[in-house]
Amino acid sequence: MIERIKLALAKTGVSVYQISETKEESVELFFIRKSLDMRRRKAVKKASVTVYREFSEGEKRYLGSSSTVLQDSLTDEEIEKQIASAWYAASFVKNLYYELPEGERKESVHASSGLADKELAESAQIYAKALFAEDTEEDVFLNSTEVFLKRTWHRIVNSRGIDVSYVNERASGEFVVQCIGEQDVETYVDFAYHDLETEALRRKVRAALEQTRARASAVQAPPAGNYRVILSGDYVPTLLSYYVDRAGTAYVYQKYSNYEVGCKVQGEEVCGDAINLTLKATVPYSGEGIALEDRELVKDGSLQLLHGGIRFAYYLGVEPTGHYDGLTAKAGTVSLEEMKQQPYLHVVNFSDFQMDSFSGHFGGEIRLAYWFDGEKVVPVTGGSINGSILDVQKNLTFSKELQTEKDFEGPMAVCMEGISVAGSEE
Amino acid sequence: MKVKSSEYLAKVKPLLVCLRDRLLQEYPYVSVLATDSKAMSYRVSKNGTSISTHDLLSGRGFVVKVYDGSSYAEYSFNDISEDNLEELISNIREAVVPLAENLPEGVKKSAYRMLEDEPAVFADSTEYEVDPESYGDEAIIRELTQISEKGRAYNEKILDCIANLSYQRYSKLFLSKNRDMEQNILWTAGAFFVMASKGEEVKNSYRGFSNLGGLELLDKMRDGVEKVAKTALELLESEPMIPGEYDCICDPGVTGMIVHEAFGHGVEMDMFVKKRALAEQFVGKQVASKLVNMHDGAAAAKEVASYFFDDEGVLAQDTLVIEQGILKAGISDAQSAMHLGTVPTGNGRRESYARKAYTRMTNTFFEGGKDKVEDMIASISYGFLLEEAQSGMEDPKNWGIQCMVSIAREIKDGKLTGKIYSPIVLTGYVPDLLKSISMVSETVELGGGGFCGKGYKEWVKVSDGGPYIKARIRLG
Repeated sequence: MIERIKLALAKTGVSVYQISETKEESVELFFIRKSLDMRRRKAVKKASVTVYREFSEGEKRYLGSSSTVLQDSLTDEEIEKQIASAWYAASFVKNLYYELPEGERKESVHASSGLADKELAESAQIYAKALFAEDTEEDVFLNSTEVFLKRTWHRIVNSRGIDVSYVNERASGEFVVQCIGEQDVETYVDFAYHDLETEALRRKVRAALEQTRARASAVQAPPAGNYRVILSGDYVPTLLSYYVDRAGTAYVYQKYSNYEVGCKVQGEEVCGDAINLTLKATVPYSGEGIALEDRELVKDGSLQLLHGGIRFAYYLGVEPTGHYDGLTAKAGTVSLEEMKQQPYLHVVNFSDFQMDSFSGHFGGEIRLAYWFDGEKVVPVTGGSINGSILDVQKNLTFSKELQTEKDFEGPMAVCMEGISVAGSEE
Repeated sequence: MKVKSSEYLAKVKPLLVCLRDRLLQEYPYVSVLATDSKAMSYRVSKNGTSISTHDLLSGRGFVVKVYDGSSYAEYSFNDISEDNLEELISNIREAVVPLAENLPEGVKKSAYRMLEDEPAVFADSTEYEVDPESYGDEAIIRELTQISEKGRAYNEKILDCIANLSYQRYSKLFLSKNRDMEQNILWTAGAFFVMASKGEEVKNSYRGFSNLGGLELLDKMRDGVEKVAKTALELLESEPMIPGEYDCICDPGVTGMIVHEAFGHGVEMDMFVKKRALAEQFVGKQVASKLVNMHDGAAAAKEVASYFFDDEGVLAQDTLVIEQGILKAGISDAQSAMHLGTVPTGNGRRESYARKAYTRMTNTFFEGGKDKVEDMIASISYGFLLEEAQSGMEDPKNWGIQCMVSIAREIKDGKLTGKIYSPIVLTGYVPDLLKSISMVSETVELGGGGFCGKGYKEWVKVSDGGPYIKARIRLG
């Protein structure tokens, strides 16, 4: 397909372009309780083509661009028509000039893994088996489950010589745990792995079963007030995404963020743990064909790098790093047990935890939290937390214990002081 | 004007008919859904302009559903020709249907009846006034640039004003043994976001627009960006909410979010099948104030989620979900309805041909009432006018509310004081909130600027809204 596209680009007179071709195959299993409700396979192929058009107005150089999606089912005439349309559209896109990265043809990368060596259907069976292996209780059980096994072939070609390709596999899905106890409650959990991580999935199912059982006995919201709040699991990387987003070249160039290399992201005076973050490469190349390698982002609270794609990096005069999906964070200074020596509200499940990287506000409705008032620990549900990272970042405390969660490796928990909780009024 | 049929689907239809007929020799039920969609996105901000194909919404492809005598299997693909027809049939027979083998111990295959397949043959299209493709990329960008520049020029504290617009023109063909249906739809949506900064903090305000139709939408978008810029500046001076329960008036956007997130997800009947929705136990019971009438349906309104048949070939309907506060019915896809022994409501929707169909909302809204907004404000001694719905998360199991709102305007002694609180988290128990509704304004407004997910995936275009409502709500 790429050769057909190149021919159409040449016919249209496009000399600067990027083509990203993907072929995706998947096996998908959908269960309700212990019944397979639907099974699916997918085989789709498409290419996204971006055309770039250079022009000047007075002294200023511009590079317009426009993208279109092409498929094998298109005729050569249809491909030419779509590219011509994108080429025309690019002339109205008045973006300041920037340059595409240079490169060369590289051997295709297909890292070996437990998933790479197996047919998708076989891997799907292994994952389904792992999920149901823990589903052995009467009062708490898997209500519904979805398992997706996907293999994707990627190839990225641009007009400046880049021609890279790789294959990756991903096992992902979600499950809902239900507990019919004092109350009938549920917990939603999603998962994603790049290898045969069946033990990690079994641990996740076990934890969700225990958590859901606890929620079934939680009957009240915590009293309204200010709390030492502990967040754990997925919510730790969500909170840290504030720093990752604000260190992005797009945020910085557009002045949504005032970060610069060397700045203290938590402010000058840090009383708690200083943050240490590394961007982690989960695939060999970015969507623009830039080779990805792990990069230190924040060291002891000090910003080491602005990260992002080619355009805003060019404007800022920094090296384009490409976009990263993975993040690692250094462990903190206290154990989870030490964190829990004083009164706390440990929220383990929100309806939906939101971190706003523009304003720094975070919040969400509490599905399950453990409230320690200094004497006893009580499971609570309901109410919401509403805070600002700007108010608490000097006093963040991270746990010594680590977790590996989807594309994050780092502390299991973070503790914040003085967080407002809207709860019961008793 | 009517949206035209897809030439591509017309070209491949004989092949699809052949595929259907070949599979019908092996399976008692076969359906084929074919899609040809073009969607474009336009965006203008201070630092850049973009024109691109909307990846999620664009493309051509097919999904075949077969019934093996007890359950269903699907195959999604995007290439069909005489050359690969045998390979497609072989894949379905040898690689898709057998996925039900080798299940984990204790796990079995679901048992379903065969889907109803009443005869239906038609082709229909929605209407539009201004064709986006004829209007042209240059003119669209020029219009968005004017809006963006006007927003940025409002005040020096304005960081940026992003103006965007997208449209989708799609054609779908549904073939089964007894059905041959075609639909051609065009919708357009746009928005502007204004960002203002003070120190490290950046606040933003937005306004969305949508219609079932074409670029006649721009007529609505040409005014109003200054009002949004003014709100973004006001937000810079906002204060955090003092948690508590207050008398509130929700604007139509916030009403829509409550309708959609707090209640709508709870009446998706695939959740009834899984015993995940509390609503199943409340059918026929009072769940809201008598002032509340709620609808959902692709045929309930002319908005971005309107169509003639759903992705399982069920005709679009207008479902009355709540009538005078009583929960009357849920909404369902075909397979869930079959499981529950109910009639499907035309709510079986896919993110694309490449994804599974689930029960999904379409155009979801409360009916209007008899009150005037000014009387509603005057009726409050202390409370808030809630504006700019941000996001919400469903909780069908427990009917817990989690909705985020940008603006709470203080009301004292029946008057707006000018003081703003932000951001706001709405919490509580859905029936408590809905039963507390004491006033409902006359005019209903629907907005279709966003997408709805099932959990955290499966994005489909929806609209929601309603009138201004007065209710007692816990804010934090």
